[in-house]
Amino acid sequence: MTPSPLPRYPAFMSAPEPTAAPTGVAVRVRGACRVFRSAGEADVVAVDGVDLSIAAGEFVAILGPSGCGKSTLLRMIAGLEPLDAGDLGFGAGGGAPKNALAYVFQDAHLLPWRDVLANVALPLELQGRASGERRDAALRAIAAVGLADAARRHPAQLSGGMRMRVSLARALVTEPRLLLLDEPFAALDEITRQDLDDQLRALWAATGMTVLFVTHSIAEAAFLAERAVVLTRRPARVVLEHALDLPAQRDAALRGDARFAREMSVLYEALRRGNGKAA
Amino acid sequence: MKPRFVETFVPPAATFLLTTAAAEFGIRAAGVSPLLLPTPSAVARAALQHAPTLLPALAMTAQAVAIGLALSIALGLLVAIALSTSRWVERAFYPYAIFFQIVPIVAIAPLLVIWFGYGMRAVVAAAFIVSVFPVIANSLAGLLSVDPALRDLFRLYGASGFARLWKLSLPWALPNVLTGLRIAAGLAVIGAIVGEFVGGGGLGVVVLEAMRQQRTDLVFAAVLHAAALGLALFAAVNATSHFALRRWHTQETEP
Amino acid sequence: MSRRAASKRAVAIGMAALLAIPACGGEDAATRATAGKVALALNWKPEPEFGGLYEAQRMDAFAKRGITLELTGGPGAPVVQMVEAGKVEFGIAAADEVVLARDRGADIVAVFATYQTNPQGIMVHAARGLHSLADVFAAGGTLAVEPGVAYTKFFEKHYDLTKMKIVPYGYSIAPFLGDPTLAQQVFVTAEPIAARRQGADPQVFLIAESGFNPYAAVVITTGARARAETKRLADFVAALREGWRGYLDDPTLANALMGQLNKEMDADTFRLGAAAQQPLIEDAFAKQSGVGAMSLERWATLGRQLQELGLIGAAPAPRDCFVQVETLQSPPEPLR
Repeated sequence: MTPSPLPRYPAFMSAPEPTAAPTGVAVRVRGACRVFRSAGEADVVAVDGVDLSIAAGEFVAILGPSGCGKSTLLRMIAGLEPLDAGDLGFGAGGGAPKNALAYVFQDAHLLPWRDVLANVALPLELQGRASGERRDAALRAIAAVGLADAARRHPAQLSGGMRMRVSLARALVTEPRLLLLDEPFAALDEITRQDLDDQLRALWAATGMTVLFVTHSIAEAAFLAERAVVLTRRPARVVLEHALDLPAQRDAALRGDARFAREMSVLYEALRRGNGKAA
Repeated sequence: MKPRFVETFVPPAATFLLTTAAAEFGIRAAGVSPLLLPTPSAVARAALQHAPTLLPALAMTAQAVAIGLALSIALGLLVAIALSTSRWVERAFYPYAIFFQIVPIVAIAPLLVIWFGYGMRAVVAAAFIVSVFPVIANSLAGLLSVDPALRDLFRLYGASGFARLWKLSLPWALPNVLTGLRIAAGLAVIGAIVGEFVGGGGLGVVVLEAMRQQRTDLVFAAVLHAAALGLALFAAVNATSHFALRRWHTQETEP
Repeated sequence: MSRRAASKRAVAIGMAALLAIPACGGEDAATRATAGKVALALNWKPEPEFGGLYEAQRMDAFAKRGITLELTGGPGAPVVQMVEAGKVEFGIAAADEVVLARDRGADIVAVFATYQTNPQGIMVHAARGLHSLADVFAAGGTLAVEPGVAYTKFFEKHYDLTKMKIVPYGYSIAPFLGDPTLAQQVFVTAEPIAARRQGADPQVFLIAESGFNPYAAVVITTGARARAETKRLADFVAALREGWRGYLDDPTLANALMGQLNKEMDADTFRLGAAAQQPLIEDAFAKQSGVGAMSLERWATLGRQLQELGLIGAAPAPRDCFVQVETLQSPPEPLR
């Protein structure tokens, strides 16, 4: 532990590498294309020349209709999908940040045979970290998502919301500098979803990591992000990049605020345009 | 625990008692020759009278089944893992794995004696041949059904091939492996008995001797011992399954 | 002892048991009887051991006595059970099977014994220089015999078999050809001829040498049928005897007929097999009393031997085991 106090860092996270660099990592996407080919069927262009520039520590929502290719874009950034054209760069160096990336899927996708603690510790285990360190970090991450009491339970004994929290803790356990989330709360009920939105926003604020959040919910995008990128329907292209004019401190009251409604209508209009319909 | 015990054991026990009683009275009433169909009581008497023959034979068959089944699990899993590594490997070799399923064990059993000699090895080979395919097929299905998101997760954190296999694919395939094992257990008993018909030893030879000596009651007694062995293995696989998978599902039951 | 019951016999017994239940009323037999038909179940493929049956068919020995004979069964057929259940009127079995069946409560009787001397033997490689069954067992090695055959028990009682590794006979001579110390059961009309053709130099010691000599290829029926249909039975046996007489004199045509039905055995093997079995069928007793005739003493000896081996509870009365057709030609006496 370095003694240097980092006010944005909460107690549950160990301090970052003692460098001057900010915690989050910047992402640059230029002319990204992805075409899916399968024998006997027409090629599917999922992503068609997307440019995206995300600053270190930014919270960006990528908004688009279902099946528009926004997940593909996220997977390309994660390195899970190759680019058929264009390029991808991170931070100043441009190379993919090793061990600095985390991904949260649409569903929790936990290992049913492992308890919460072991599920959360998995990324560290795969990275070959010592078991004591894994355990401590996992317990901290579990506490951060409010599941300290459930560390020894198995996924089957948890509710959908709790499972998603475990999935979030698993992503946070490596202290990522870039967190990618692919419609993570879409399957949850509204209350649980808002609860998790609050929690995610707080974690972002506390850690300074860069967050890229894919969603098809305008309200979620507006509530969470600093900036929203609206994509057209497939093949995905950028229709709108919009910095949200909302206060940094966001709570339930904001959802009833006129500014919130205005920002939502901006996003809604862009989404309609992207869908090929006049506003 | 108690109502569960009742639920589990009372219905089959009732079926057993009713069927046995019906068979006993039916066979007696119809006056069927004991050479054709012995009464349950005659079978029970034969089982008791020939216990000194039947029990060591059962132990011998059980040993061959256990070894054959262990080989099936070990080699079947290895083959399934190899097949799961690539579509091309699967396409190239899976059709030949099916050979094990369709091989008429009765027809090739005499060859086993020529290849492995008389005795335990030929019997183990017969048990292995008939029981390995369900292990391969089910394990492969399990290995190929691993959640793609979890594969991505392992890739994202730079997991080694071994870690992917050991920490993801194999545990993920466990329910399928156990399903395969449940099928394989019964088949291994059949395979061992057919193997004993040609390789010697165990319940297989007791059956042949009893048939030759027209002890139909003893034939049935030996067959019942083989069935008991199959049931015991099935129960063992179920218990293992229940224990290994109890945390996977909220209701603590197998899929 | 019928020598070969394939391993599929387990299934066959179960099937027979199922078939037997509706057959208790003897419907098949009844419908056949009105048409003058009878069925006989064989326990093996058409080979020289059934030469007389096929010769009788060929020369219409049955037909001219008003009998239409249908041959059925084959390897693995549960012949005793089929006869007991009334599925067939007659069957081929071994004398010891008759005694065992009677002990198990089945009313089975022998009506014709093809072999006076049991044609089964133990085959070894001649190069071993053995001179008797006692030599074979003293030399050790592997002995391949069908599990449960009575003669193995008899050998165990009368010889020292501790040096032998006893394994099941799988109806293939391949292990014998590959193992110079392997001894196996044979039917003198089949395996030794096949082994010789495949380049081996086999030597056979008949099991009869040990003193255990049950009649073989015995025609069986139920006691009830033998008592109820004496005339028909006498006609049947007379036709059979006529067939055997013809086959012993010249097996060529019947061999050709059987060769059509059993393509696995070539004409040469048929010819050699027929020659090999001749002295076992027509010995001095058969020459005097007729082919297929049986003696009370032989049945008494067999019953005593099987009882000594613990295979049956009490030896049956020898005269219950068989029906001598000569006695049927005079007015029949009650058998029990």
